[in-house]
Order: sequence, then C-alpha cells, then structure tokens
Amino acid sequence: MKDSLVLLGRVPAHPDSRCWFLAWNPTGTLLASCGGDRRVRIWGTEGDNWICKSVLSEGHQRTVRKVAWSPCGNYLASASFDATTCIWKKNQDDFECVTTLEGHENEVKSVAWAPSGNLLATCSRDKSVWVWEVDEEDEYECVSVLNSHTQDVKHVVWHPSQEMLASASYDDTVKLYREEEDDWVCCATLEGHESTVWSLAFDPSGQRLASCSDDRTVRIWRQYLPGNEQGVACSGSDPSWKCICTLSGFHSRTIYDIAWCSLTGALATACGDDAIRVFEEDPGSDPQQPTFSLTAHLPQAHSQDVNCVAWNPKERGLLASCSDDGEMAFWKYQRLEGL
Amino acid sequence: MAGGQDLFDAIVMADNRFHGEGYQEGYEEGSSLGVIEGRQHGTVYGAKIGSEIGCYQGFAFAWRCLLHSRATEEDSKKMKVLESLISMIQKFPYGDPTYANLHEDLGRIRGKFKQLCSLLNVQPDFKISAEGSGLSF
Repeated sequence: MKDSLVLLGRVPAHPDSRCWFLAWNPTGTLLASCGGDRRVRIWGTEGDNWICKSVLSEGHQRTVRKVAWSPCGNYLASASFDATTCIWKKNQDDFECVTTLEGHENEVKSVAWAPSGNLLATCSRDKSVWVWEVDEEDEYECVSVLNSHTQDVKHVVWHPSQEMLASASYDDTVKLYREEEDDWVCCATLEGHESTVWSLAFDPSGQRLASCSDDRTVRIWRQYLPGNEQGVACSGSDPSWKCICTLSGFHSRTIYDIAWCSLTGALATACGDDAIRVFEEDPGSDPQQPTFSLTAHLPQAHSQDVNCVAWNPKERGLLASCSDDGEMAFWKYQRLEGL
Repeated sequence: MAGGQDLFDAIVMADNRFHGEGYQEGYEEGSSLGVIEGRQHGTVYGAKIGSEIGCYQGFAFAWRCLLHSRATEEDSKKMKVLESLISMIQKFPYGDPTYANLHEDLGRIRGKFKQLCSLLNVQPDFKISAEGSGLSF
C-alpha cells in the first residue's frame, strides 16, 4: 500500500520564471526561495497561508541558483550565475547584504554552511570548490580553492557532524574533502554514476550519503573507517566509501534533487518527469546492504521539472518543492497505518 | 619442377608482397613524422605550463617583497599562503613530463594562486602567450 503525499498549497514564488531552490531556516519557520528572476524571497506563515515577508532584489545580476541559511539562522547565503555569492544578515524582517564573495570565474552553482557556522563552501561551473572561513566580525577569507573535479561542480554539502565536505559534478563523480595540516584536500572520490551527479544528502547520522543523478538512479554510499569489521579496504588513515544500495527503475528522467529528512529518515526526490517520490528504508534491512521501498509517488506534482525538495527540520512530514514552472508547493507526507 | 614453382610464386604473390612492403614503409614514415609532431606539440604545451607557473612565481616573489616590510597579523596569514605557493612551485618536477601527479600538482598550484589572489584582493589578469611577452607603454 502506498503511503500518502497530500498537497497543502501552491504559491507562485517566482512568476514568469523558474524557481530553482528552497531552504528552510533552522527553526523551520521561514522558507527562502530563489529563482531565474534574480530574486530571493523569504516566506512565512500567517494562519494557513504562506506570505512573502521579504524580497531580496538588489543582490544579483543573474539567476540565483541556491540559497542556504547559516546554522544560527541569522544569515542567508545566495549563490548566483553572476559568479558571486551574497551573504545577507537578518534583522527582524529585513535582510541586508553584508558581503559579496567573488573569485569564481563563472556561474556559482551551490553554497553551503558547515554545522559549526565558521565555514562556507561554494562551487562553480569553473570546476572548482572554494572553502571560506568567517570570523566574529563577519569577515570572510578564502582558505582553499580545490581543483579536483574535471567538470562543472553542481552541488556542495557539509557532513552533519564532522568537518567534511562533499561535492557532486558533471564529471559523474562525488568527491569528499577534509582539512589536513592547514590545507583542504580531496580524501575520497565516489565513482559509479553513469552521468552527471546533481545533488547530495547525508543521512541524519552522517554515516551514509545519498546521491542522485542524470542516470536516473539514486545511490546510497557508506563510510568505512580503517580497521572496519566488514573488511572493506582503506588506504592509509582515510576512510573508504562504498556504494551499498542503488535505486534504479523508479525515475523516468533526471533526478535533480534529493533530501534526507533528519526527523524521520525518509528520502525525497525531485525529478525531471515532474514527479516527487519518497523512499524509506525497509525495517530490519541489513545496514551493509539496505533496501529502500518507494512509499509515495506523486506524478504531475508540478507542471514542469521539479528542481528542489526540502523537508522542514521541525515539523514531521512537511515537505516543500519547487519547479521550473515558477511555483512552490507544500506537501504533507504520512505513512498510512494498517498493513 | 622446383624452379617452376618459385617463378610462379613470385608473380602470384607480388600483389600481396607489395601491399605488405608498402604498409611497412608507410608505418615507419608515419611513426617518425608522429614523433616530430608530438615533440613540437609537447614543446608548445610545456612552454605554456612553464610560462603560467613562471607568472605565479614572479607574482609571489614580488608580493613577498612588498609584504616583508609590514608585519601585521593578517599579513602573516597572507605570507603563509605565499610561502606555501612558492614552495609548491619550487618542488614541482619540471624535468619529468612522465611524473604521475603532474595534473594534480598543477591543480594545487593553480588553486593556491587563486586563494592568494583572493586574500590579497587582486584580480589575476595575466595574458600568457606562446610568442613571449613584451613590455608595452
């Protein structure tokens, strides 16, 4: 029996344009959206309705591709095709651009804050990943420029508890980075996808990483430390990553985004076939070879490609999605009782 | 009859033999032309890399002199990155085109240079030409 995904509402977030990405703030009370109209909008609820509380319109000259909230919730970073990343400081309902990070040669594709709040990562079509450090005076400094990928880097995400960074690229690989003796280095390369890797998500514990790709599969990777019980080989002191599960045959087009719910462990995907899907790990499945089942499938969730899915960090089952059709939608996911 | 067989053999197999000899000659000539072309290509490509790294080195040495006179705390961070870049450039094995980590090390040098430019707040705008750079006023 399929579990349910119920539509709560739709909002034309970026009319006449694409809505590229959504990000919930850490308390789950605000949602930031960004789009092809070069704007970032901040949404909040008033009763049952979602209303636009702020529009950040003077920051970028081109499409804003991703937005990310700092762990404290007081800052928002926006990554744009104009090759810059803006840092906005929240002052009640107003946002002020406090810094613009430059350096990438062309379109910035993603930005992410480390859980410590002291580090920020950006990645670009120029094939590089930049790591920035921020101090108490809101001064940003580049601490590393990583040239490990051989093509456009699509997404960066930080590990939930370790200071480790992951990146996904048009070169079909996922790379992981760590700081070693004052310098950031690539400590692992995950190969297996047969086409562009579009997005990544760590599970709540950080032991597993999910990746989604243009090859229409989702892969789940697990970290093995040196001396592990399962006998997975590691080189030196670097952990090894192995693909422990591949979800194929479920998506009919490119999978653009994946989100792993920190409250429930459910995995949501955003697909080029306009559908949203949710997967959950089968109870009792072997941790080294887990199996996942499709628990919800909503075709025509949007009228065009779904670009992003985002689970609310505080409210169980609340999922937001956005699309090339410029709209954002809210969904309630619940497992139906009775087997 | 042994003499008769040899005579016919030479005539009948002539086509095959010429084909084989022609192929062999062509292969050898092609190989030596290929080596010459490869050498030219390698020279140009090597010069480009050398020129690029030379630019980074010159840039780093100049800035090292400029920053030496100042000794503020934030400058010490810049100096650290500067010294790291210079060290990477000096360790690079220029004489070994078969060095296994060539591209990886080049990537690290380029990354370190970009980071340095970001810290110094300087936009890199070098024109690297194979014809050699000249001063213009």
